[in-house]
Amino acid sequence: MGDFGGPDLISDLPLSIVESILIQLPIRDAVRTSILSSKWRYKWNSITRLVIDEKCVPSCNDRTVVEKSLVKFINQLLFLHQGPIHKFQITNSYLQSCPEIDQWVLFLSRNDIKELVLELGEGEWFRIPSCLFNCKKLTRLELFRCELDPPLTFKGFMCLKSLILHQVLISPDAIESLISCCPLLESLSLSYFDSLALTIRAPNLRYLYLEGEFRDLCLEDTPLLVDISVAMYMTDDIAEHFEQSSNCNFFKFLGGVPNLERLVGHIYFTKYLSIGNDPGQLPLTYSNLETIELYQVSFEDMKEILVVLRLITSSPNLKELQISQGSSNIPTATDAPDLDFWRKECPSDCTLKKLKLVKLTDMCGVPHEMEFIKYLLGSSPVLETMSIMPCMYVMESQLKMLIELVKFRRASAQAEIIFVRD
Amino acid sequence: MVSTMMENPRTAWSRDVDLLRCNDATEILIMKVGDVMVRNLARGAHKEANKHLAQWTVLGNPKMIKAYVWLQTSDGSIQQVEQEIAMFCPLICHEIIQKGMGSSKNYAICLPQRVSPAMLSLILDYCRFHQVPGRSNKERKSFDEKFIRMDTKRLCELTSAADSLQLKPLVDLTSRALARIIEGKTPEEIREIFHLPDDLTEEEKLEPLKNTTDDPRIRLLNRLYAKKRKELKERERLKNVEVEEEHVDERSVDDLLSFINGNDRDPKEIKTSKNRKKNRRKKDQQKNSFLKEASELDKETNGHNIRCQSAEADTIGETSNIRHTEDDTFSHKETNGHNIRCQSADADTIGETSNIRYTEDDTFAHKVEFDDGDMDDEIDPALQEKIDREVADFARRLNSDWPMRMKEFLSSSGQERTSMHFPTNGNSFLRRHDYPFLLSRFLSSGVDDISSCCAGTGLRMEMTPYKPIQMT
Repeated sequence: MGDFGGPDLISDLPLSIVESILIQLPIRDAVRTSILSSKWRYKWNSITRLVIDEKCVPSCNDRTVVEKSLVKFINQLLFLHQGPIHKFQITNSYLQSCPEIDQWVLFLSRNDIKELVLELGEGEWFRIPSCLFNCKKLTRLELFRCELDPPLTFKGFMCLKSLILHQVLISPDAIESLISCCPLLESLSLSYFDSLALTIRAPNLRYLYLEGEFRDLCLEDTPLLVDISVAMYMTDDIAEHFEQSSNCNFFKFLGGVPNLERLVGHIYFTKYLSIGNDPGQLPLTYSNLETIELYQVSFEDMKEILVVLRLITSSPNLKELQISQGSSNIPTATDAPDLDFWRKECPSDCTLKKLKLVKLTDMCGVPHEMEFIKYLLGSSPVLETMSIMPCMYVMESQLKMLIELVKFRRASAQAEIIFVRD
Repeated sequence: MVSTMMENPRTAWSRDVDLLRCNDATEILIMKVGDVMVRNLARGAHKEANKHLAQWTVLGNPKMIKAYVWLQTSDGSIQQVEQEIAMFCPLICHEIIQKGMGSSKNYAICLPQRVSPAMLSLILDYCRFHQVPGRSNKERKSFDEKFIRMDTKRLCELTSAADSLQLKPLVDLTSRALARIIEGKTPEEIREIFHLPDDLTEEEKLEPLKNTTDDPRIRLLNRLYAKKRKELKERERLKNVEVEEEHVDERSVDDLLSFINGNDRDPKEIKTSKNRKKNRRKKDQQKNSFLKEASELDKETNGHNIRCQSAEADTIGETSNIRHTEDDTFSHKETNGHNIRCQSADADTIGETSNIRYTEDDTFAHKVEFDDGDMDDEIDPALQEKIDREVADFARRLNSDWPMRMKEFLSSSGQERTSMHFPTNGNSFLRRHDYPFLLSRFLSSGVDDISSCCAGTGLRMEMTPYKPIQMT
């Protein structure tokens, strides 16, 4: 194997370019460049991003074998590496809690780690060592299936901008203080927490993603919040707790977010917002709110419908609306629906001047749904598309729905109503 | 994406303009807008940069005449390029705004050496497309995909040229393309594509490749390498065996004993007699044992520094830095022959897991393979002195305890003495009081040939039959 015809194309490029190339390779390919030639022997040593994914070591059926070779690989990697490590990510389901991970975290804490992602396998949850809290330069922390226990003297991550905790065991006080003592926090994502009562104070927070069983949610100091996405699950005791609550949840949650641009609510979110006293006509206007997506809204609960209406009417610049119906699948005609409600609550002068796209799914054809559609069609002068997807269990009432739809007045001449059938 | 800039530049400079009350407000405005634009370009924030480019162009060119700049490439040729396109490159932008170059042929901007005319035209194509503000992300992406379809040589040159012009988005694009080329290929393929010289040494290449993809070709290669390594080992062993037969430690027992007893006999004489390479190797090993003891006493090793690697050694062995061959000889690529580093961990773990096997039955198993290339037969005199000093030190200390220890040994039961197993501490470096064990054993058991009782220690010596010595 001698010299191939031609000069060396790549070895003399500046180190920043070589590093940029090596960073975009999977880690095993990057390490393998060390045997290309003498110049390439140590080029990979100083890359600042190490991402251990599922393909780092060959997999086989025996999990312990793979785990062992993975641990060996990471040990070698860290031992040979020179220089700061800015990003370290492990996303490998074979790796479970083992003592070596503590040592790696310690090593990283001494090497200017800025972004740390630990996504280990299912199994025993890894207990994060306290040396993590010494990582002063941390800007992004993402943990899956871990136990987090900040020490009492912990003052916060001063540079942390993004915090993602997914299935993490942490005490409620600790999580609240963690959030509030990270002054630069911009993005927060908490998933699979159990019965958490959370008050969020984060003056720089922009993106909020919550998923789990929340007993109580309160956004106390989040003026810059731009994007909210909440999926609230319900258990029996939380449902009980809801019945007794008298605070206006709507206000508690959405009272302090004037810059909101996008709101997404899943499962019991709308129900949660509906609890408490009716705020009346809201003093708030969400002038930047352009997208509202609410799923599993029950059109048989007047309070939930009210929540939706309040949101819509307080958002003059709303462009996109997605509502998904989600009470019981078979509509039960119990009381005669109070259709007066619509005349009362919808001021006739309220037009949704910017609404362009409406998407309604899982519609059953109950009277309140039809009234809602009627209201939307009548108040949206620039509506372009309304797509309706009926619930698949109610075949017979689909025809009824269509007949009613056709009758409704449309404020927008270009409105297309698309009735989607499976 | 949320802008990460701390302050909106527009408000910044408009505030500055308010503060300025001079006739050259426009000039200063131009400079300020230009500064912000250069900074944005350097960061790759093209949307913001484009906004300022428009302002800048209007400010500096109220009549909106299409402006051109003059650029000189590496081959000396000068060409005229539309200003707004050229300004997309931070380096050119900087030259125009801060140095005022490029306005005429005589003052053409000299582009860096890595920018050839062909590369410049490619870069300008890129700039021409991306500079237009109204394009969607999808359009830009598909343009990029088509743009980088070129042969590898041009791609490397383009990366280099874009880097010298500080055009970060193009550098990212091209380096991503190069990464895609490298990904998943075997080293031979990569070397062929990029014309890399295959200049790692034979031995360096003989380390097993990490076969993470379980490629059958790599497995075969590793097997061939293993065979080759075995052959090399065989050859070396043959060489060693020949020489070892010649090697005889001709120091008499008297010498050794007197040395321990602190006679004036110059210890140097013991060392300098033989100068053969292999001989010295043996001596080095013995020296090592003395030194190790000295070091244990002094807690410092210099000269021949030997520190053993911890249990990770076998894993490290697979990597590029340290080779280990099947026979567990061990050396670090970077050594100069005298400096072999390992950490002193638990002796037991070293004994078990590391590449250096310390078993009592082996010949002094720490066969250190020095890089013969750069070693000569003469021992460095400075080094020699150091060694001598340490040896003398050791002798002194050993001597001081000798009477007491001898009493101990002689008074202990005979059984103990005969069935003495040498406490080699797992690493067969003789500890300080091991040497007396050795002596006492042959003293008490009347063995003629010391070599047989030395067999257990791993220390090979052939000595003349002993003579009784006077003990105090």
